[in-house]
Amino acid sequence: VSRVVHYINQFFAGVGGEDAASTPPTSRPEPIGPGRKLAQLLGDEHDVVATVFCGDDHAAGEPAAIAEIVSLVQEAQPDLLVAGPAFTSGRYGLACARVAAAAHAAGIEVVAAMHPDNPGLDEAAPAPVIESGEVGRTMGPSLERLAAAARKLLAGEELTSDDGRIGPVPRRSRRADANAATRAVDLALARLGGDRDATEVPLPRFDRVSPAAPIDDPSAVTIALVTEGALVPDTNPDKLESARATKWLRYSIEGSDSLAPGEWRSVHGGFSTVWAHEDPHRILPLDAARRLEAEGAIGDIHGAYLVTAGNGTSVGNARRFGIEWAADLRHSEVRAAVLTAT
Amino acid sequence: MAPDAEELTRLVHHVSEVAAGPETRYDGGQLTVSTEEAMAVLASPALAQTQVSWVSPGQSARIVKVLDAVEPRTKGPGPTGGGVFPGFVGPDKAQGRGSTHVLRGAAVVAAGYLPRAQEAVVDMSGPAAGLSPLGGTHNLVVEFTPAEDAAWEDVDKALRRGVLALAARLAEAAIDAEPDIIEVFPTPGARSTNTSRPRIGALTNLQTQGTFKDVFVYGRSFSGGLPTLLDPGEIDDGAVVSGQFGHPSLKNPTFMHQNHPVVAALRARHGTDLDFAGVVIAPEPVALGHKELVSAHAARLCAAAGWDAAVVTKEGGGNADGDVALKMDALEDAGVTAVGLFAEMAGPDGTGPPIVVPPERATAMVSTGNYDERLVLPAVETALGGSEIALLDRPATDELELPMAVIYCALSPLGWGHLTCDPGTANEVVL
Repeated sequence: VSRVVHYINQFFAGVGGEDAASTPPTSRPEPIGPGRKLAQLLGDEHDVVATVFCGDDHAAGEPAAIAEIVSLVQEAQPDLLVAGPAFTSGRYGLACARVAAAAHAAGIEVVAAMHPDNPGLDEAAPAPVIESGEVGRTMGPSLERLAAAARKLLAGEELTSDDGRIGPVPRRSRRADANAATRAVDLALARLGGDRDATEVPLPRFDRVSPAAPIDDPSAVTIALVTEGALVPDTNPDKLESARATKWLRYSIEGSDSLAPGEWRSVHGGFSTVWAHEDPHRILPLDAARRLEAEGAIGDIHGAYLVTAGNGTSVGNARRFGIEWAADLRHSEVRAAVLTAT
Repeated sequence: MAPDAEELTRLVHHVSEVAAGPETRYDGGQLTVSTEEAMAVLASPALAQTQVSWVSPGQSARIVKVLDAVEPRTKGPGPTGGGVFPGFVGPDKAQGRGSTHVLRGAAVVAAGYLPRAQEAVVDMSGPAAGLSPLGGTHNLVVEFTPAEDAAWEDVDKALRRGVLALAARLAEAAIDAEPDIIEVFPTPGARSTNTSRPRIGALTNLQTQGTFKDVFVYGRSFSGGLPTLLDPGEIDDGAVVSGQFGHPSLKNPTFMHQNHPVVAALRARHGTDLDFAGVVIAPEPVALGHKELVSAHAARLCAAAGWDAAVVTKEGGGNADGDVALKMDALEDAGVTAVGLFAEMAGPDGTGPPIVVPPERATAMVSTGNYDERLVLPAVETALGGSEIALLDRPATDELELPMAVIYCALSPLGWGHLTCDPGTANEVVL
């Protein structure tokens, strides 16, 4: 009998909704919630020996969460880890994807499930992801497809698009016979010759993000300042990159009314930073925000600002920063953010 | 005086061996440079000191902090080089006709610190050598110490003028030598009535984002301008000069404009399966409204010039993708088939969306490789341009793991390189 561990979020574990989104990683030696149906579908040859769950904010926002989850999974000595289905839920999908990628890296066989529009999808690679429905009421068919994929993996077979496998296939560099200019002329001639589809690069698919509803009363909420303008303390103590950033940082503005020239600088590599150094508010408008706060137009300013450098950033990293910022700000009960872009 | 024939003749002299010596001369493929003379050509009040040294293909050497690179060319003797690099070395008079001496296989390369310049690496041997055009040329590397009170803008100007003048001076050494190859390129003309060959042109975006990220046309910054038709011979003669030091792998140095790969590909097939329709250059402004204006204008210009298709290129990162995408859509709307050259920014494992700002209606794209892919450069014996790698705070001679983004011209937006990307599961870069 093979041992299967199931990863889910706090909601499907029955712990609670947004109120329980900070639940830390927890393990139970039994199937829970959708895991019971999964166990049934997997049949007698496979046992769901443990369920590991974690709150959405905790999983998406705490840097150590994924490693903790994977170590709980490892304690249950699984032959296979199943994560999700996460449907279109962003933080849950991101957690499933990261747990899958980390488990894969740790040598654990793993499969995750989510909807193709889930923003977490791209982070699972090279771990396989199986398509699920959009919302929880598609749980039944989603689990059936996931269970079938799980059985196939346990039998030592590869998953393909026939199994509902979704997600990015890595694109790797190779040396072509002709240089790119010559290939571009070839492509122009092919197009003029009537081949309307010829291309070397498929059009990428981007998320369409629906904006959050407007705030009824800005004077009653906490508002955060966030920026991709790479404004950091003058010594750049955490070494934010000027281009191709791999991280974001958080700096306190608690109790300060303004940003003094000379104490802050922008390390952004994409524009001339002379004017930012002259007046750091050109990147992070703390002066104006404090004025609005004093006038009572907004409730209060969040005690820290979040920052990265938006210059040559891969879409994958930019998406990750966005999801982590959202989780971090929700966790701090921030209801709106002003994102200054350069 | 009879008018110039509407063609440019390139008198190509191969450089197979280089040396420093008492006088600057070219003889049977060997280029000797007088260091003293080179330093005199480079001298400027903005530069306290300059130093020149050769590095050649195959050497265990690395150039870091690479700024501009220039192919030695001249159109005549004397300090104005017969008009070459108009607006810098020659006066700002229209060029692109007559004959031009070319020292093929050599480059003058500026290397060192300038503000806003991003760390750029050229290896003369090992896996990265083939990824940069300078990995295959004999490079006269110009290092410099700014004068104490000089403004960085003046250091930049002095270097540009000096490096161009030095490139002209090196080519002058070959003026009396028998060329190894003679190449004749007619100026692209209007649509011929007796052919059905498609007319294809090059639509070339020049980065225009202010000092240290600027490109010059006839000695003037091209920012603020509108697209214009250019005779490709003008580019051969150095009418387009780079002052852009960001995005090393996505950079188009002067050397690359002089050897514009799309122009070369179109010239090579002119009169066989296509007619070369010419070059349109366009600025890459920073504001969206200006980008849209420039794109609409460029598309009208190409359509008015009777182009059936355009190969659209850029310089720089994600921002510049927008300029290509807008132009491709505008061209397709104007009935001109558009092909865009893009580097992919798909993350280190190649699983991210490849293009940051893709076109919406045009879909023909050529990949020049993945910006984020990483490669390991072996340790080298000597480094020029600086003693440290800015990104890693490590000695420049160390073994280095770097993203493709840092290798000079590795993902050449003008299409010099051979890299492309395919879906696949290989874990090793296949180069």
